Amino acid sequence: MSDKVEAVKKLFTSQSSRVETNKGDTYYQELFDKCEARLNEMRSHQPANKLDFADLLEENGIDRREFMKWASATTAMLMLPPMFTPLVADAAVLMNRAPVIWLELQDCAGNSEALLRADGPKIDEIVLDIISLEFHETLQAASGHQAEKQLDEAMEHFKGKYLLFVEGSIPMAMDGQYGTIGAKAETFHDHLLRCAENAAAVIAVGSCATFGGIPAASPNPTGAVGVMDVVKNKPIINIPACPANPANMVGVILHYVLTGQVPELDSLLRPKFAFGYRIHDNCERRAHFDAGEYVEEWGDIGAKNNFCLYKMGCKGPMTFNNCSIVRYNDGVNWPIGVGRGCIGCSEPDFWDKYAYERPMADAKIKAPTGGVEKTVDEFGLGMLTAVGIGIGIHAAASAIAGKRENSGESHE
Amino acid sequence: MKQGYTQVKRMTPIMRVMHWVNAICLVGAIATGLYIGHPYYQTLIADGAVDKYVMAWNRYGHFIIAIIFDVTSIVIAYLYFFSRFEKPYKKVIPNTKNIKEFKNVFINLISLNRKNELNSEHADSFNTVYFTIFHLLLIWMLLTGLQLYVHGLGSGTSSIGAWWPWMLHAVTDWTLYVTGGSKMDVRISHHLTMWLIICWVVFHIYYQVWRTIFWKEGDIGIVISGTKFAKDKSPKSE
Repeated sequence: MSDKVEAVKKLFTSQSSRVETNKGDTYYQELFDKCEARLNEMRSHQPANKLDFADLLEENGIDRREFMKWASATTAMLMLPPMFTPLVADAAVLMNRAPVIWLELQDCAGNSEALLRADGPKIDEIVLDIISLEFHETLQAASGHQAEKQLDEAMEHFKGKYLLFVEGSIPMAMDGQYGTIGAKAETFHDHLLRCAENAAAVIAVGSCATFGGIPAASPNPTGAVGVMDVVKNKPIINIPACPANPANMVGVILHYVLTGQVPELDSLLRPKFAFGYRIHDNCERRAHFDAGEYVEEWGDIGAKNNFCLYKMGCKGPMTFNNCSIVRYNDGVNWPIGVGRGCIGCSEPDFWDKYAYERPMADAKIKAPTGGVEKTVDEFGLGMLTAVGIGIGIHAAASAIAGKRENSGESHE
Repeated sequence: MKQGYTQVKRMTPIMRVMHWVNAICLVGAIATGLYIGHPYYQTLIADGAVDKYVMAWNRYGHFIIAIIFDVTSIVIAYLYFFSRFEKPYKKVIPNTKNIKEFKNVFINLISLNRKNELNSEHADSFNTVYFTIFHLLLIWMLLTGLQLYVHGLGSGTSSIGAWWPWMLHAVTDWTLYVTGGSKMDVRISHHLTMWLIICWVVFHIYYQVWRTIFWKEGDIGIVISGTKFAKDKSPKSE
């Protein structure tokens, strides 16, 4: 309850969720100069790894023109004016100066997979290749004590400078014993707090790390929570979605490399450039929604005609994410594009409250007692039936009582 | 007029207009709202393109109804405190007189009219409390509804300016936290509150009909003519 009170207080003192896409020439000129100075400074730093971005692009058959196209698209995604394009391109090249430590907690490694298993390395993925990934439990060769040593060294060497990426939720039940790591059996909770202490910023990637995700779904046996519930007094950026879109990860890192600051965030600490808009409003099937043309069942004539998936439980109307714009795998496709509804994976509690693949009116909700699961309409009809029965009994009793009175002694 | 009865004024014309506007709006809001929650009829594929705007019209209708509700709610809220006819708030204050009246009316209801110790000439405390509950439910619907509406204004601006979504956020964002934290909770609450309101209406209609039948004072006529007949209870008339 006190959490809720705090949240409400914060709400009334914070700015509106408005996404300001044009902050005026003076603002951008100042930002431009600042970014330029920062990039120049970074250029003088020693790269943390020997990867060269230009070589990598060439190896993967991506020419300069394609790269510049990507740079202007990314500039637009970050809601910066076109004059920032050369800076964004420079920042991408300088990404190997941004030390990153990646923690893997209670999750399926889906966000790492999303990066690695793209159909072919696209520029977003290459940019993520080149970041100076100092520590990544799943990807690194080192293991055991060696891995622990590497983590300690990285944290010491880049103290206060590294970005801490966290993937997966933090189990809090049973003193966090549901998830431990390393020879000393450090709990995920302690591990995260230790690594977050000297980080420049903590970036929670994927739904588990942001809001607890699937591990936190009812009945949440491990007491899973997101990063923002345990890490305090650190800049936190949430990049939810299951998996998080690599484009948004790159966006956040680029923004950090470019400006040295975290991007503008919404009330759930999600960058506004990515989560400021509703899926529904940029959906290619929106016209069918307005027209009342819905897929009624899988494979019907509506499905063949790309009708709206609202009745199949699409949660686009209540989900904020940019996947209807940037899509996945370099714009190849996205859930609604392949003909299945959105499950609201970038919203809190998505597994319980969004992903049931039915319209909300048919969703199962819990009774206040926590027990019986019924749909909203079943609850409603139940209440109505109870009222009806009550009225029926009252009416019948009143009628009988009235008759008795009339046939009985003449009163008054 | 039947002997022993006096005609008493119970509702002003504006109150009656408001009642029927609300009643019609309620039916409209439920019909369109159920469609928005789960589209229950289909458009015909053969329909002309200009006719195919079914969800959008439903949402439009739902929203226009919401605005009418807004206006009547403001007027009712004003009359609640400043009416020159009857100020309903005076009947909700839990003072001895009101509690006694509330009890009497309630006992009358559950004793199936065998106990009748109330003064039926003016609005009673029980009905006023019931009326107040309705308007609280309605205010909750307005707040949650506007919260759902502002989700569509993600750009932070609207055809009437940026103040509108800003205001909606400022006024309704707290409903997110109160209902459970996610946008879906607000939706579920909005939908469930509809059922509460339907239950409210069902009992309301029943109770007014019941009063009419058992009190034999023509209570149902209040909302049409504004008056009812009250039995003259002064001992002289007997």
